[in-house]
Amino acid sequence: MATAVELAPRLTEASRRKLWDVHSAFDWPEALEPEAGWYMSPELISIYGTEAWDALDESTRYRLSFYEIANFFSFVLYGERPLISGLMNRMYRKDTLGPITEYLHHFIDEENKHMIMFGEFCNRYAGKIYPEKKLVFPREHAKGEEEISFFCKVLVVEELGDFYNLKMMSDKRIDPLVSKINKVHHVDEARHLAFGRELLAEITERHIQEWDDEETLRFRTWLVDYLKSSWGDFYNPAVYKDTALENGYGVRKAALEHPTCRAFREEASAKLVDYFVDTGLLDERPTL
Amino acid sequence: MDDKQIREQLRMWILDRSGASPDRLARDDEPILDDGLLSSLDIVEFILFIESLREEEVDIEAIEPEVFNSIDTLMAAFFPDAPVAAGAAG
Repeated sequence: MATAVELAPRLTEASRRKLWDVHSAFDWPEALEPEAGWYMSPELISIYGTEAWDALDESTRYRLSFYEIANFFSFVLYGERPLISGLMNRMYRKDTLGPITEYLHHFIDEENKHMIMFGEFCNRYAGKIYPEKKLVFPREHAKGEEEISFFCKVLVVEELGDFYNLKMMSDKRIDPLVSKINKVHHVDEARHLAFGRELLAEITERHIQEWDDEETLRFRTWLVDYLKSSWGDFYNPAVYKDTALENGYGVRKAALEHPTCRAFREEASAKLVDYFVDTGLLDERPTL
Repeated sequence: MDDKQIREQLRMWILDRSGASPDRLARDDEPILDDGLLSSLDIVEFILFIESLREEEVDIEAIEPEVFNSIDTLMAAFFPDAPVAAGAAG
Protein backbone atom coordinates (compact mmCIF):
# COMPACT_ATOMS: atom_id res chain seq x y z
CA MET A 1 0.00 0.00 0.00
CA ALA A 2 1.45 3.35 -1.08
CA THR A 3 1.75 6.12 1.50
CA ALA A 4 0.05 9.46 0.86
CA VAL A 5 3.31 11.06 -0.21
CA GLU A 6 3.96 8.17 -2.64
CA LEU A 7 0.40 8.32 -3.92
CA ALA A 8 0.35 12.09 -4.46
CA PRO A 9 2.51 12.27 -7.65
CA ARG A 10 0.39 9.55 -9.31
CA LEU A 11 -2.79 11.43 -8.45
CA THR A 12 -1.27 14.70 -9.68
CA GLU A 13 -0.46 13.01 -12.99
CA ALA A 14 -4.00 11.60 -13.27
CA SER A 15 -5.52 15.01 -12.48
CA ARG A 16 -3.42 16.62 -15.21
CA ARG A 17 -4.35 13.89 -17.69
CA LYS A 18 -8.05 14.31 -16.93
CA LEU A 19 -8.05 18.09 -16.68
CA TRP A 20 -11.46 19.51 -17.59
CA ASP A 21 -13.03 22.93 -18.01
CA VAL A 22 -16.13 23.50 -15.93
CA HIS A 23 -17.26 26.33 -18.19
CA SER A 24 -17.40 24.18 -21.32
CA ALA A 25 -18.14 20.73 -19.87
CA PHE A 26 -21.93 21.12 -19.78
CA ASP A 27 -24.69 22.24 -22.09
CA TRP A 28 -27.02 23.94 -19.65
CA PRO A 29 -30.63 23.84 -20.91
CA GLU A 30 -32.50 27.12 -20.52
CA ALA A 31 -34.88 25.54 -17.99
CA LEU A 32 -35.79 22.18 -16.44
CA GLU A 33 -39.34 21.11 -15.80
CA PRO A 34 -39.55 19.70 -12.22
CA GLU A 35 -42.58 17.54 -12.88
CA ALA A 36 -41.36 16.13 -16.20
CA GLY A 37 -39.38 13.18 -14.85
CA TRP A 38 -36.77 11.94 -12.36
CA TYR A 39 -33.89 14.15 -11.28
CA MET A 40 -32.72 11.83 -8.55
CA SER A 41 -32.99 8.05 -8.49
CA PRO A 42 -36.23 7.42 -6.58
CA GLU A 43 -34.57 4.90 -4.24
CA LEU A 44 -32.21 7.68 -3.09
CA ILE A 45 -34.95 10.16 -2.24
CA SER A 46 -34.97 10.90 1.48
CA ILE A 47 -38.51 9.70 2.22
CA TYR A 48 -38.46 6.70 -0.14
CA GLY A 49 -40.11 3.73 1.53
CA THR A 50 -42.09 5.80 4.03
CA GLU A 51 -45.83 6.35 4.29
CA ALA A 52 -45.32 9.94 3.12
CA TRP A 53 -43.71 8.62 -0.08
CA ASP A 54 -46.47 6.07 -0.66
CA ALA A 55 -49.04 8.88 -0.50
CA LEU A 56 -47.48 10.90 -3.36
CA ASP A 57 -48.65 10.76 -6.95
CA GLU A 58 -46.12 10.40 -9.74
CA SER A 59 -45.77 14.07 -10.70
CA THR A 60 -45.24 15.05 -7.04
CA ARG A 61 -42.56 12.37 -6.75
CA TYR A 62 -40.84 13.84 -9.82
CA ARG A 63 -41.09 17.31 -8.29
CA LEU A 64 -39.66 16.07 -5.01
CA SER A 65 -36.77 14.44 -6.89
CA PHE A 66 -36.00 17.82 -8.48
CA TYR A 67 -35.78 19.65 -5.16
CA GLU A 68 -33.93 16.74 -3.57
CA ILE A 69 -31.17 16.91 -6.19
CA ALA A 70 -30.93 20.69 -5.71
CA ASN A 71 -30.61 20.08 -1.96
CA PHE A 72 -27.98 17.36 -2.51
CA PHE A 73 -25.92 19.65 -4.74
CA SER A 74 -26.39 22.50 -2.24
CA PHE A 75 -25.07 20.71 0.83
CA VAL A 76 -22.21 19.08 -1.07
CA LEU A 77 -21.30 22.57 -2.29
CA TYR A 78 -21.37 23.86 1.29
CA GLY A 79 -19.35 20.83 2.41
CA GLU A 80 -16.70 21.63 -0.17
CA ARG A 81 -16.32 25.23 0.97
CA PRO A 82 -14.59 24.51 4.33
CA LEU A 83 -12.79 21.61 2.67
CA ILE A 84 -11.10 23.97 0.20
CA SER A 85 -10.34 26.45 2.95
CA GLY A 86 -8.83 23.73 5.16
CA LEU A 87 -6.74 22.25 2.36
CA MET A 88 -5.43 25.70 1.45
CA ASN A 89 -4.31 26.25 5.03
CA ARG A 90 -2.33 23.00 4.84
CA MET A 91 -0.43 23.84 1.65
CA TYR A 92 3.22 24.85 1.85
CA ARG A 93 3.39 24.07 5.55
CA LYS A 94 6.62 22.58 6.86
CA ASP A 95 4.86 19.31 7.67
CA THR A 96 3.13 19.10 4.27
CA LEU A 97 5.67 17.50 1.98
CA GLY A 98 6.20 18.90 -1.55
CA PRO A 99 4.35 16.21 -3.54
CA ILE A 100 1.35 16.59 -1.25
CA THR A 101 1.19 20.35 -1.69
CA GLU A 102 1.49 19.83 -5.44
CA TYR A 103 -1.49 17.45 -5.42
CA LEU A 104 -3.48 19.77 -3.15
CA HIS A 105 -3.36 22.36 -5.95
CA HIS A 106 -5.34 19.90 -8.11
CA PHE A 107 -7.58 18.77 -5.28
CA ILE A 108 -8.57 22.40 -4.60
CA ASP A 109 -8.92 23.20 -8.31
CA GLU A 110 -11.30 20.25 -8.74
CA GLU A 111 -13.32 21.10 -5.65
CA ASN A 112 -13.63 24.68 -6.85
CA LYS A 113 -14.97 23.43 -10.17
CA HIS A 114 -17.46 21.18 -8.38
CA MET A 115 -18.75 24.18 -6.46
CA ILE A 116 -19.15 26.10 -9.72
CA MET A 117 -21.16 23.30 -11.38
CA PHE A 118 -23.34 22.67 -8.32
CA GLY A 119 -23.93 26.39 -7.86
CA GLU A 120 -24.79 26.82 -11.53
CA PHE A 121 -27.34 23.99 -11.43
CA CYS A 122 -29.01 25.17 -8.22
CA ASN A 123 -29.16 28.85 -9.09
CA ARG A 124 -30.19 28.30 -12.70
CA TYR A 125 -32.91 25.72 -12.14
CA ALA A 126 -34.01 25.89 -8.49
CA GLY A 127 -33.41 29.63 -8.24
CA LYS A 128 -31.39 29.19 -5.06
CA ILE A 129 -28.84 27.20 -3.13
CA TYR A 130 -30.47 25.66 -0.08
CA PRO A 131 -28.75 27.46 2.81
CA GLU A 132 -26.92 25.42 5.41
CA LYS A 133 -27.89 25.81 9.05
CA LYS A 134 -24.51 25.19 10.61
CA LEU A 135 -22.87 27.27 13.31
CA VAL A 136 -19.46 26.21 14.51
CA PHE A 137 -18.56 26.73 18.16
CA PRO A 138 -14.98 26.25 19.35
CA ARG A 139 -14.31 22.97 21.15
CA GLU A 140 -11.41 21.39 22.97
CA HIS A 141 -9.08 19.12 20.98
CA ALA A 142 -6.52 16.51 21.96
CA LYS A 143 -3.14 16.57 20.17
CA GLY A 144 -3.74 15.90 16.47
CA GLU A 145 -7.52 15.74 16.93
CA GLU A 146 -8.24 18.90 14.95
CA GLU A 147 -6.32 17.50 11.99
CA ILE A 148 -8.05 14.13 12.26
CA SER A 149 -11.47 15.78 12.59
CA PHE A 150 -10.84 17.88 9.49
CA PHE A 151 -9.98 14.88 7.33
CA CYS A 152 -12.90 12.90 8.80
CA LYS A 153 -15.22 15.69 7.65
CA VAL A 154 -13.59 15.61 4.20
CA LEU A 155 -14.14 11.87 3.99
CA VAL A 156 -17.75 12.03 5.20
CA VAL A 157 -18.84 14.59 2.60
CA GLU A 158 -16.96 12.78 -0.15
CA GLU A 159 -17.86 9.17 0.71
CA LEU A 160 -21.57 9.85 1.21
CA GLY A 161 -21.63 12.05 -1.88
CA ASP A 162 -19.88 9.37 -3.90
CA PHE A 163 -22.41 6.72 -2.88
CA TYR A 164 -25.07 8.92 -4.49
CA ASN A 165 -22.88 9.84 -7.47
CA LEU A 166 -22.25 6.19 -8.30
CA LYS A 167 -25.93 5.33 -8.24
CA MET A 168 -27.02 8.34 -10.31
CA MET A 169 -24.24 8.55 -12.90
CA SER A 170 -25.51 5.41 -14.63
CA ASP A 171 -29.23 5.69 -13.89
CA LYS A 172 -30.95 6.00 -17.27
CA ARG A 173 -34.20 7.09 -15.64
CA ILE A 174 -32.92 10.44 -14.47
CA ASP A 175 -32.22 13.68 -16.33
CA PRO A 176 -29.01 13.32 -18.39
CA LEU A 177 -27.55 16.61 -17.11
CA VAL A 178 -27.88 15.37 -13.52
CA SER A 179 -26.27 12.03 -14.48
CA LYS A 180 -23.38 13.85 -16.08
CA ILE A 181 -22.78 16.12 -13.09
CA ASN A 182 -22.70 13.03 -10.88
CA LYS A 183 -20.27 11.30 -13.24
CA VAL A 184 -17.91 14.27 -13.44
CA HIS A 185 -17.97 14.58 -9.68
CA HIS A 186 -17.32 10.88 -9.15
CA VAL A 187 -14.29 10.79 -11.46
CA ASP A 188 -12.51 13.51 -9.45
CA GLU A 189 -13.75 12.23 -6.11
CA ALA A 190 -12.27 8.77 -6.72
CA ARG A 191 -8.80 10.37 -6.55
CA HIS A 192 -9.69 12.59 -3.60
CA LEU A 193 -11.01 9.60 -1.69
CA ALA A 194 -7.93 7.48 -2.33
CA PHE A 195 -5.75 10.32 -1.08
CA GLY A 196 -7.97 11.23 1.89
CA ARG A 197 -8.28 7.65 3.12
CA GLU A 198 -4.53 7.13 3.11
CA LEU A 199 -3.63 10.48 4.64
CA LEU A 200 -6.22 10.18 7.40
CA ALA A 201 -5.06 6.65 8.25
CA GLU A 202 -1.47 7.92 8.59
CA ILE A 203 -2.42 10.90 10.76
CA THR A 204 -4.62 8.68 12.90
CA GLU A 205 -1.86 6.13 13.45
CA ARG A 206 0.45 8.95 14.50
CA HIS A 207 -1.85 10.41 17.14
CA ILE A 208 -4.59 8.10 18.34
CA GLN A 209 -2.34 5.99 20.59
CA GLU A 210 -1.42 9.14 22.51
CA TRP A 211 -5.02 9.93 23.46
CA ASP A 212 -6.30 8.87 26.87
CA ASP A 213 -9.63 7.04 27.25
CA GLU A 214 -11.57 10.24 27.86
CA GLU A 215 -10.15 11.94 24.76
CA THR A 216 -10.82 8.88 22.60
CA LEU A 217 -14.40 8.62 23.83
CA ARG A 218 -14.99 12.34 23.28
CA PHE A 219 -13.68 12.08 19.72
CA ARG A 220 -15.74 8.97 18.91
CA THR A 221 -18.89 10.59 20.28
CA TRP A 222 -18.23 13.64 18.11
CA LEU A 223 -17.60 11.50 15.00
CA VAL A 224 -20.84 9.55 15.40
CA ASP A 225 -22.75 12.81 16.02
CA TYR A 226 -21.09 14.34 12.96
CA LEU A 227 -22.12 11.38 10.80
CA LYS A 228 -25.70 11.60 12.05
CA SER A 229 -25.73 15.34 11.49
CA SER A 230 -24.40 14.89 7.95
CA TRP A 231 -27.23 12.47 7.23
CA GLY A 232 -29.64 15.06 8.57
CA ASP A 233 -28.69 17.30 5.62
CA PHE A 234 -30.48 14.89 3.28
CA TYR A 235 -33.83 15.42 5.07
CA ASN A 236 -34.50 19.10 4.44
CA PRO A 237 -37.90 20.54 5.49
CA ALA A 238 -37.41 23.33 2.92
CA VAL A 239 -37.33 20.70 0.16
CA TYR A 240 -40.60 19.22 1.38
CA LYS A 241 -42.12 22.69 1.55
CA ASP A 242 -41.00 23.47 -2.02
CA THR A 243 -42.64 20.21 -3.11
CA ALA A 244 -45.82 21.38 -1.36
CA LEU A 245 -45.75 18.63 1.28
CA GLU A 246 -47.40 19.70 4.52
CA ASN A 247 -45.49 19.86 7.79
CA GLY A 248 -41.97 19.56 6.39
CA TYR A 249 -40.42 19.27 9.84
CA GLY A 250 -42.74 16.38 10.68
CA VAL A 251 -41.93 14.66 7.37
CA ARG A 252 -38.22 14.96 8.18
CA LYS A 253 -38.65 13.64 11.71
CA ALA A 254 -40.74 10.66 10.58
CA ALA A 255 -38.27 9.78 7.80
CA LEU A 256 -35.25 10.02 10.13
CA GLU A 257 -36.95 7.61 12.52
CA HIS A 258 -38.32 5.27 9.84
CA PRO A 259 -36.64 1.81 9.85
CA THR A 260 -36.43 1.72 6.02
CA CYS A 261 -34.59 5.06 5.93
CA ARG A 262 -32.33 4.03 8.81
CA ALA A 263 -31.44 0.78 7.03
CA PHE A 264 -30.69 2.77 3.88
CA ARG A 265 -28.41 5.21 5.76
CA GLU A 266 -26.51 2.32 7.32
CA GLU A 267 -26.11 0.61 3.96
CA ALA A 268 -24.95 3.84 2.29
CA SER A 269 -22.49 4.51 5.13
CA ALA A 270 -21.14 0.95 5.38
CA LYS A 271 -17.91 1.54 3.46
CA LEU A 272 -17.17 4.74 5.37
CA VAL A 273 -18.02 3.26 8.76
CA ASP A 274 -15.92 0.14 8.04
CA TYR A 275 -12.99 2.44 7.28
CA PHE A 276 -13.49 4.32 10.56
CA VAL A 277 -13.60 1.02 12.47
CA ASP A 278 -10.57 -0.41 10.63
CA THR A 279 -8.49 2.67 11.41
CA GLY A 280 -9.59 2.72 15.06
CA LEU A 281 -11.43 6.03 14.73
CA LEU A 282 -14.56 4.17 15.85
CA ASP A 283 -14.72 1.01 17.94
CA GLU A 284 -18.10 -0.18 16.64
CA ARG A 285 -20.67 0.47 13.94
CA PRO A 286 -23.06 3.16 15.14
CA THR A 287 -26.82 3.23 14.69
CA LEU A 288 -27.52 5.94 12.15
CA MET B 1 -48.49 29.89 20.26
CA ASP B 2 -47.86 32.46 22.96
CA ASP B 3 -44.58 33.40 24.57
CA LYS B 4 -44.97 30.95 27.45
CA GLN B 5 -45.83 28.01 25.22
CA ILE B 6 -42.86 28.67 22.94
CA ARG B 7 -40.51 28.90 25.93
CA GLU B 8 -41.84 25.55 27.15
CA GLN B 9 -41.41 23.96 23.71
CA LEU B 10 -37.81 25.18 23.53
CA ARG B 11 -37.08 23.96 27.06
CA MET B 12 -38.54 20.52 26.37
CA TRP B 13 -36.60 20.15 23.11
CA ILE B 14 -33.30 21.07 24.76
CA LEU B 15 -33.84 18.78 27.74
CA ASP B 16 -34.96 15.91 25.54
CA ARG B 17 -31.98 16.32 23.19
CA SER B 18 -29.40 16.66 25.96
CA GLY B 19 -30.90 14.16 28.39
CA ALA B 20 -30.44 16.73 31.18
CA SER B 21 -32.75 16.91 34.19
CA PRO B 22 -35.48 19.62 34.16
CA ASP B 23 -33.82 21.60 36.97
CA ARG B 24 -30.92 22.25 34.62
CA LEU B 25 -33.13 24.76 32.78
CA ALA B 26 -35.21 25.95 35.71
CA ARG B 27 -34.77 29.57 34.62
CA ASP B 28 -34.90 31.06 31.15
CA ASP B 29 -31.57 32.84 31.56
CA GLU B 30 -29.66 29.59 32.30
CA PRO B 31 -26.79 29.02 29.83
CA ILE B 32 -27.44 26.50 27.07
CA LEU B 33 -24.06 26.35 25.37
CA ASP B 34 -21.55 27.22 28.08
CA ASP B 35 -22.02 23.99 30.00
CA GLY B 36 -22.30 21.85 26.91
CA LEU B 37 -26.03 21.28 27.06
CA LEU B 38 -26.09 21.54 23.26
CA SER B 39 -23.17 21.15 20.85
CA SER B 40 -22.55 22.75 17.43
CA LEU B 41 -24.04 19.64 15.84
CA ASP B 42 -27.20 19.87 17.95
CA ILE B 43 -27.67 23.46 16.81
CA VAL B 44 -28.40 22.40 13.22
CA GLU B 45 -31.28 20.26 14.47
CA PHE B 46 -32.37 22.95 16.92
CA ILE B 47 -32.57 25.59 14.18
CA LEU B 48 -34.87 23.34 12.15
CA PHE B 49 -37.05 22.91 15.23
CA ILE B 50 -37.14 26.70 15.75
CA GLU B 51 -38.11 27.12 12.09
CA SER B 52 -40.98 24.69 12.56
CA LEU B 53 -42.25 26.75 15.51
CA ARG B 54 -41.85 30.05 13.64
CA GLU B 55 -43.15 28.60 10.37
CA GLU B 56 -40.40 30.63 8.77
CA GLU B 57 -36.78 29.91 7.87
CA VAL B 58 -33.88 31.20 9.95
CA ASP B 59 -31.23 33.16 8.08
CA ILE B 60 -28.13 31.70 9.66
CA GLU B 61 -25.87 34.33 8.11
CA ALA B 62 -27.82 37.06 9.86
CA ILE B 63 -27.49 35.73 13.42
CA GLU B 64 -24.68 35.66 15.97
CA PRO B 65 -23.89 32.51 17.97
CA GLU B 66 -24.76 34.47 21.14
CA VAL B 67 -28.47 34.13 20.36
CA PHE B 68 -28.17 30.53 21.55
CA ASN B 69 -27.00 31.59 25.02
CA SER B 70 -30.32 31.02 26.79
CA ILE B 71 -34.07 30.67 26.27
CA ASP B 72 -34.37 34.43 26.86
CA THR B 73 -31.91 35.26 24.05
CA LEU B 74 -33.60 32.72 21.75
CA MET B 75 -36.97 34.35 22.35
CA ALA B 76 -35.58 37.82 21.67
CA ALA B 77 -33.89 36.70 18.44
CA PHE B 78 -36.46 34.36 16.94
CA PHE B 79 -39.80 35.15 18.54
CA PRO B 80 -39.75 38.88 19.33
CA ASP B 81 -43.44 39.27 18.49
CA ALA B 82 -44.79 36.23 20.34
CA PRO B 83 -47.94 37.28 22.22
CA VAL B 84 -47.68 37.28 26.00
CA ALA B 85 -49.94 34.66 27.58
CA ALA B 86 -53.16 35.96 29.12
CA GLY B 87 -52.68 36.66 32.81
CA ALA B 88 -48.88 36.43 32.52
CA ALA B 89 -48.22 40.16 32.26
CA GLY B 90 -47.44 42.23 35.38
